[in-house]
Amino acid sequence: MNSLFIHRYLQAACRSVLARDLRWSGLQVSPASRPLQIAAIVLVTLLPLRAAELPDLFAERVRSCVTVEFLVESELDRQPVSVPGVCIDAGGTIILPSSAIGSRVSARQLKDFKIYRPNSATACRAEYLGQDVLTGWHFVRAEEKLRPELVPLTAWVRAGTPEPRLADEVWGIGLRGKEEDFRPYFLMSRVGLIQPMPQMTAIAAAELGGPCLPVFNRDGALVGLTLNSFGQNFLMFSRRERGVPVVLVNVEESSVFLFANEVLPYLGRIPRNVSGRPLPWLGVFGLEPVDPEVARFLQLENQSALVVSEVLEGSPAETAGLKGRDIVVALDGRPLPRLKPDQVVATFVEREVDRRRPGDELRLTVLRDNQRLELKVTLGDEPKVIREAERRYFERLGLTVREFLFGDGVARHVKLAQQAGVIVDFVKPNSPAAMGGLEFDDWIREIDGKEIKTYAEAIAALAAIEADKDRPEFVLLTSRGSETAVRRVKLK
Amino acid sequence: MSGDFNRLLEAVVRIDVREVTFAEGARRFVAGVGSGVILSNDGLVLTNAHVASPHAVEISITLPSLERVGAKLVGWDHWTDLALIRLDLDEVKHRRLAFQHAAFGDSDALYAGETVYAVGTPYGLTRTVTRGIISNNRRYFEDPGGVRGYETGAFNTWLQTDAAINPGNSGGPLVTEDGRVVGINSRAYVGADNLGFAIPSNIARRVVDGLVAHGSITRSYIGLVPGTLQDLEHFFALALNTGMLINSVDAGSPAARASLHGGDILLAINGQKVDGRFPEQLPPIQNMIASLPVGSTVRLSLKRGGQAMEIPVVTEKLESRVGEEWAFEKWGVSVRKVSRAFARENQLDDSTGVIVLGVQAGFPAAVAGLAAGDIITKVNHESLTELGTLQRIYQQFEAKPDSLLLEARRDRRVSLYVLKP
Repeated sequence: MNSLFIHRYLQAACRSVLARDLRWSGLQVSPASRPLQIAAIVLVTLLPLRAAELPDLFAERVRSCVTVEFLVESELDRQPVSVPGVCIDAGGTIILPSSAIGSRVSARQLKDFKIYRPNSATACRAEYLGQDVLTGWHFVRAEEKLRPELVPLTAWVRAGTPEPRLADEVWGIGLRGKEEDFRPYFLMSRVGLIQPMPQMTAIAAAELGGPCLPVFNRDGALVGLTLNSFGQNFLMFSRRERGVPVVLVNVEESSVFLFANEVLPYLGRIPRNVSGRPLPWLGVFGLEPVDPEVARFLQLENQSALVVSEVLEGSPAETAGLKGRDIVVALDGRPLPRLKPDQVVATFVEREVDRRRPGDELRLTVLRDNQRLELKVTLGDEPKVIREAERRYFERLGLTVREFLFGDGVARHVKLAQQAGVIVDFVKPNSPAAMGGLEFDDWIREIDGKEIKTYAEAIAALAAIEADKDRPEFVLLTSRGSETAVRRVKLK
Repeated sequence: MSGDFNRLLEAVVRIDVREVTFAEGARRFVAGVGSGVILSNDGLVLTNAHVASPHAVEISITLPSLERVGAKLVGWDHWTDLALIRLDLDEVKHRRLAFQHAAFGDSDALYAGETVYAVGTPYGLTRTVTRGIISNNRRYFEDPGGVRGYETGAFNTWLQTDAAINPGNSGGPLVTEDGRVVGINSRAYVGADNLGFAIPSNIARRVVDGLVAHGSITRSYIGLVPGTLQDLEHFFALALNTGMLINSVDAGSPAARASLHGGDILLAINGQKVDGRFPEQLPPIQNMIASLPVGSTVRLSLKRGGQAMEIPVVTEKLESRVGEEWAFEKWGVSVRKVSRAFARENQLDDSTGVIVLGVQAGFPAAVAGLAAGDIITKVNHESLTELGTLQRIYQQFEAKPDSLLLEARRDRRVSLYVLKP
């Protein structure tokens, strides 16, 4: 089936090369161009040969691609994950798409990383290095013995390769599942749309490969790296329902790719630790783009702007004097670009923060009460994020608690001075905690009538309860939304 | 049946109501049917708050004599789901219409198993009588949005009956064999077999008096959310049948300002001991607080951990979370004022703004990007502390249409919108 598949694509490839050469010769107007015409004829006669190269190019480039398997361990189960990845250097470093690991998952929950080469059932071990905040990539490193087998993506960089243009032919690599020994297959399409989002992004007419795998031009030069595929609108019909609108996302193959020059400069961003720190921090919540109508109303022509919904307490933005409802119009003196969809402008600013380091400066021009203000923000290091939080599972009680983080205060409108207690991170179904009415994300304020100030206090109290087999019950004061409640957890 | 019962039948009416709604970005009218019972010679009719409300624009009563006569709302009280309307007496006199009126019985004297009858207009079937028993005479049934989005049931318990109660029975009387009104039928579990609920007549009697005198019932609020103490007495080291658990204290409420918090035990209100062990014991305690004069100081006896304390709290007026509603037709948007209760519940800084109830596709508000649930906080840099501010801006817009800059929040995210004529 595979050979048929490729054959069909090769035919398409021949036709397109022919068309390109004809168009090219059609441009010739002066006698001086005769040698070129001859060259064109030679090219045409050589065509079958050139087309035959694609399988060879494919076979070589497949050596950059791998499948990475690992386990995400939670309180009750282990979730196997399998994602494509691409080798980026001679040290066996591999990048995985941002979607490979959920943002709440701590590095301690990630177990048993394995790497499979295409057409191979043999697993090699690998180590998780962390996630890069700017690119979103997760980095893993293959064990030594595998490294010589892998060819880094950079091997396919050809100097002078033009950026993809509309209607250009591009191809990529798909990887089948474990039961088929991760067999690679060929995918080809044409560029249908090019858009800054804010990175230069191309959307092809059809899928080009698994997310985070390389994309090549007809000559085998690297032109990009696939992103997670975008959702597509469909109507779903069934016996009961007529035309229910649904969004489908192809998780195995993607037709969206970043241009190579949006990828290559960032391959060196290998995290120095699994938390990906340092994480640059501005400290605002909800950067909301204005639409072109509002921009015109604010007399901002040919540019965009962002409304700052909230400035977080104690953040670098607050220190710099930024206020909620300020309208950001320029960054480092440059007006915010008009990008589509509007939300991309917020991503643009977030990336400008993320490409910097704590201690770096960022100049913001804001509108406040019809006045333009220049603010200098010295970026900070982001407070602990959820995947870094300390947490502990109490099996007999049936709950996991984690420390109260800066972000929990933001979500709950709690001032820094009033932040205490712990957060329920997991409730085991039908456990004493579940029967007592506890839910995920509840905020525990008191245990047995005693106010809990720190994570350590909570752990000590819950560990003592867990260890005491004679105890019939314990009582918590918890918050959910704007209400508190006293909850009794029966242990007997 | 007794002659008294037959007289009662002559006092039960059908109520047709046409009322305004603001749901879809416009002012729309909907019609509904309910029941009611005539209480007096001067034409007072008692019904449910979810039958006749201030949204009603036209109320029409069908008397047992099959004559129709207009009526006006006297007042309503969604907390007890009761409303009082009055027949158009001029019309009654002019057309020489006659009617009977019913008398209240004592709902406290009811016992489980006692035979009762429900009279009303289920599914428009006028003057339907169904029979059952009192299944429970003290049912706790609080519902934060039970009366068309308004809170109900916090201050009274309900009578539960197995007499068939269906949509349209609402507002009709639940009566004993001697034709005395012991309850006002109000709700039922849809799909369940004969689980109906009625407001006890002893509650209704007080509400009727209040509505006749003031047109509304004023209650006090301090911001306590009660919980049951059932099985927690040991933990709180309490004697049985003592105290009420305070589960939560509304942010910014008088109780919060007096530093009460969840987990405190309320032992007494102005020296009067309370017992909130089971859910059905909570409404009378809530009602004790609600019945205090607004702005008065109430002495709460509390237990916090091992400590006993007396804390004075100044009551304020109880408000619904549902604010005033309006539609701005040329903009294609309907709104509801943010109330203090809504602001507290949703952790807003204050009650500035109006909530978008709906937008009409293709109208300026929808074109600008507004959607249901957005809270409009500012128009042209003017804060919307009152609904009147927006109404004034709308009038100016009607007179001289011009673009407006709106600030609105959606889940805490602040966005700007331009509303173009």
